[in-house]
Amino acid sequence: MTGIVLGVAVVFLLLNLLAGLWRIGAGPTAADRMLAVLLFGSTTVAVLLIMAEWQGDGALRTVALLFVMLATIVTLAFVGTPSDRERP
Amino acid sequence: MTMGLADLIGATLLVLGCAFYGAGTVGLLRFPDVYNRLHALTKADNQGLLLVCAGLAVLSGSWGVTALLAVIWLLGLTAAAVSAHLIARHARHGPDPGVSAEEP
Amino acid sequence: MTIGVLVDVLLALSLVGLSLQVVTGRALFRDLVLFILFGLLIALSWARLGAPDVALAEAAIGAGLTGALMLMAYRRLAAGGAADVSPARRRPLLALPVAALAGILVAIIGLSAQGVERVPDAAGTLVLQELSATGLGNPITGVLLVFRGLDTMLEMAVLLVALLGAWAVLGAAHPGRLHQVDRETPLVSALLTTVAPVTLLIATHLLLVGTDAPGGAFQAGAVLTGCGVLLVLTGTVRPRAAAGLLTKLLAIAGLAAFALIGVSALALGRAPMTLPGMWAVYLIETAMMLSIALTMTLLFARSRALGPEQR
Repeated sequence: MTGIVLGVAVVFLLLNLLAGLWRIGAGPTAADRMLAVLLFGSTTVAVLLIMAEWQGDGALRTVALLFVMLATIVTLAFVGTPSDRERP
Repeated sequence: MTMGLADLIGATLLVLGCAFYGAGTVGLLRFPDVYNRLHALTKADNQGLLLVCAGLAVLSGSWGVTALLAVIWLLGLTAAAVSAHLIARHARHGPDPGVSAEEP
Repeated sequence: MTIGVLVDVLLALSLVGLSLQVVTGRALFRDLVLFILFGLLIALSWARLGAPDVALAEAAIGAGLTGALMLMAYRRLAAGGAADVSPARRRPLLALPVAALAGILVAIIGLSAQGVERVPDAAGTLVLQELSATGLGNPITGVLLVFRGLDTMLEMAVLLVALLGAWAVLGAAHPGRLHQVDRETPLVSALLTTVAPVTLLIATHLLLVGTDAPGGAFQAGAVLTGCGVLLVLTGTVRPRAAAGLLTKLLAIAGLAAFALIGVSALALGRAPMTLPGMWAVYLIETAMMLSIALTMTLLFARSRALGPEQR
């Protein structure tokens, strides 16, 4: 029974991810698109943790740990990219 | 096919967590500008991660797993806060105006 | 198990859809973001396929490093005014048959893999049978260090050659400024003080458990690289123009440790590349981890060496 709940939760979060893709197409700014990366980052962690319980594979928790540790690297690199906001 | 009380509590927390994730995504898709979206997304997802972690901790029934989940959630909070701050700063100011992108 | 199938189908469809978007897209930044997300989904797929070793490496490299590398490249393109240039015109007449043929090829391989029977003395089966003799519990580490040690050693050589090549291309140019935030930026110092120590801890953990569980030198090296890139991007360590002795020693440490222990077996009258014991496994793994981390961080920073911030 809990197996079904875990599986449905994974499917729901994956659908969440796919919905978030729309924001990348719509934009309009680069920051909006980075928000989708943020969504993917946090949701992927949850999916990995649920999968670890669901598939009985504890190593996936370590994978999730790596994700949260290194999630900021992409944002730190993004900060240097030019903004598409109009400057006076 | 029976569920113990712990399983029931764990599953409920998990479902609640997923609901928060769903709310964050709706915020990302529906809110009018980048700051609103940022606010909705990071706040809801942090709460979602907490509830998912709590639910999984109850389901796993292991102190070791619970400790690891707590570390993951705390690091997730830090990462989300820093990322959200940096993205908001970039959206407002662009890259640091005093710094040229590349020196020769 | 039907939910499992649903998850697999969802993942597969999103991967194909995302890769299509990345390849056919017209906006550079948007495609770049999609590529980063593609890496995250690939890591999820490895997790789903029950390959946590690969998922670990993909999480460190695909989620953090590749994305950062591409954003840095985008920054350079934008600084040169080239980011707005639309990609070259498509040639559908050429692309469609290529895509169709590639699809047919994948389908044939996939279908034929369905019908293959497991050969009793296939290499993988033999490795699993002989694994207990190595003293290692993780078959992947067993293959990397014991059964195919020469290959792994040559991989370290490839990494070293890549670094030397990058140094040659760099020439005498002083590495430019890479970081846009520093520790004065709010929250960044908090990030560094929490995340950097944990990365070191996890890298050590992955290295130690790698003998018996998912992990190992490559995963630990990738995690340490993440830490290094974090330090570079926050300006905590700055690129230096000239490599010191320590940098050079660390860059060759993995290859050297492997080669010395592998060749010394000859002097003791054993076959080359036989490892004398578990201490050799840990020594080689540690040396490889350090070399991998240093090399990849230097490649990311486009520099010969890294040093602390000078005031």
